[in-house]
Amino acid sequence: MSADDSAWRPRLASRARLKFDPIAKQEMLLFPEAALALNETGAAIVRLCDGARSIDGIVDQLSKKYSDADRDALMREVIDFLDTIRTRGLLQ
Amino acid sequence: MTVAPRPYTLVAEITYRCPLRCVYCSNPVDFHRSRNELTTDDWRRVFSQAAELGVMQLHLSGGEPVLRADLFDLIRHARACDLYTNLITGGTLFDEEKLRLFRDAGLDHIQLSIQGAARERAEMIAGVRSHRKKLEVARLIRQIGFPLTLNVVIHRLNIAELPELIAIALELGADRLELANTQFYAWAAENRSALMPTREQYVRAEEIAREAIAKYRGTLEIAFVQNDYLSGEPKPCMGGWGRSYMCINPTGEVMPCHAAAVIPGLRFESVRDSALEKIWRDSPAMNAFRGDDWMMEPCRTCARKEIDFGGCRCQAFMLAGNAAEADPICRLSPHHGIVESMRTVPATDAPLIYRDVKNSRALGKAID
Repeated sequence: MSADDSAWRPRLASRARLKFDPIAKQEMLLFPEAALALNETGAAIVRLCDGARSIDGIVDQLSKKYSDADRDALMREVIDFLDTIRTRGLLQ
Repeated sequence: MTVAPRPYTLVAEITYRCPLRCVYCSNPVDFHRSRNELTTDDWRRVFSQAAELGVMQLHLSGGEPVLRADLFDLIRHARACDLYTNLITGGTLFDEEKLRLFRDAGLDHIQLSIQGAARERAEMIAGVRSHRKKLEVARLIRQIGFPLTLNVVIHRLNIAELPELIAIALELGADRLELANTQFYAWAAENRSALMPTREQYVRAEEIAREAIAKYRGTLEIAFVQNDYLSGEPKPCMGGWGRSYMCINPTGEVMPCHAAAVIPGLRFESVRDSALEKIWRDSPAMNAFRGDDWMMEPCRTCARKEIDFGGCRCQAFMLAGNAAEADPICRLSPHHGIVESMRTVPATDAPLIYRDVKNSRALGKAID
């Protein structure tokens, strides 16, 4: 399966958990042995990975939030980000 | 003085008691002396202080942490502090009810050890009957929906089983498989000549792991922890002394890693006596090898000093007699020859020394 598969409904893997780090004031994606610091968009994407939304659905939702962003650019960002965390086994 | 960085990881060794007798155990060989375990309130206070200090990841370890009757409360409190909570267990004391309780308490993840792929060999390494129970518990863990890391400590006695171990992890539906080559401290150091693989075995294992890592990426994450004697690369131990990681032993002593007690002259402060933040920042043991002021040549002027931090301090002491020396694993160490000689595996199998109270007493006397 690839990130641009239209049937894919990404869901965060059960071992990963989003947590706001009050010290560095940023969102962290925690999983065994490691953590990823996320920017605002990354955290927003993770929150939308609910197992129900498609990639298109995620981008639609983000477009509402970032209304001045170009949709194609947003799509590329979402796919790149999902690919990165999927290869680390953080999506199912 | 070096400014204390922020700790991210706390390993809480909540007990040294354990029903297993694994020959590679990383607990100190004189563990039988540590009888006075911290109370439930002590640990709760420590978890709160750790979270305030910036710790994100908590590993509840042992011994066998499930032997603590208060484990449920400890997990619940850790989650109330919003720590990512991982339980490191041998698995033999679980039943379904306990697993459900821990899930309800908010446990994030379980790391379960097995000792090999074939039952007889695995139980020879663990020193007790345990293999079938472990596999049963692994299945329960997945059924209940916990994410699972399967951990296997690798050495000469099971290194040929890598393909079977990978097959077991896939069959169980583990999220992650740790193929952790033995690190030669504590009980593993006592058993080194029986556990050190040959170079050929190690190279083959590395190849198998590399292929499997690529093949199962995205399905099963496989981590291959190197044997530094055979890889020849000094490990950036703990990501640098007192930099992001700390370990607290069952009696409350705060250490930069679980092996650090082998270094003479380090006095570890206890969470019974001081706040964690103060110990982390100010204790002489935590500051002993922070930064690079302590470094000698060849580390001091080495381009890799920010990459491997001079390797492991405990190993430097164990092999070179001075914890501030370069780790002798490094080819640039004047003591590197001793590592070369230890790579040579004797032709006959040495008898195994099992990790149990009787042997701990005997080895403790030998140390005195």
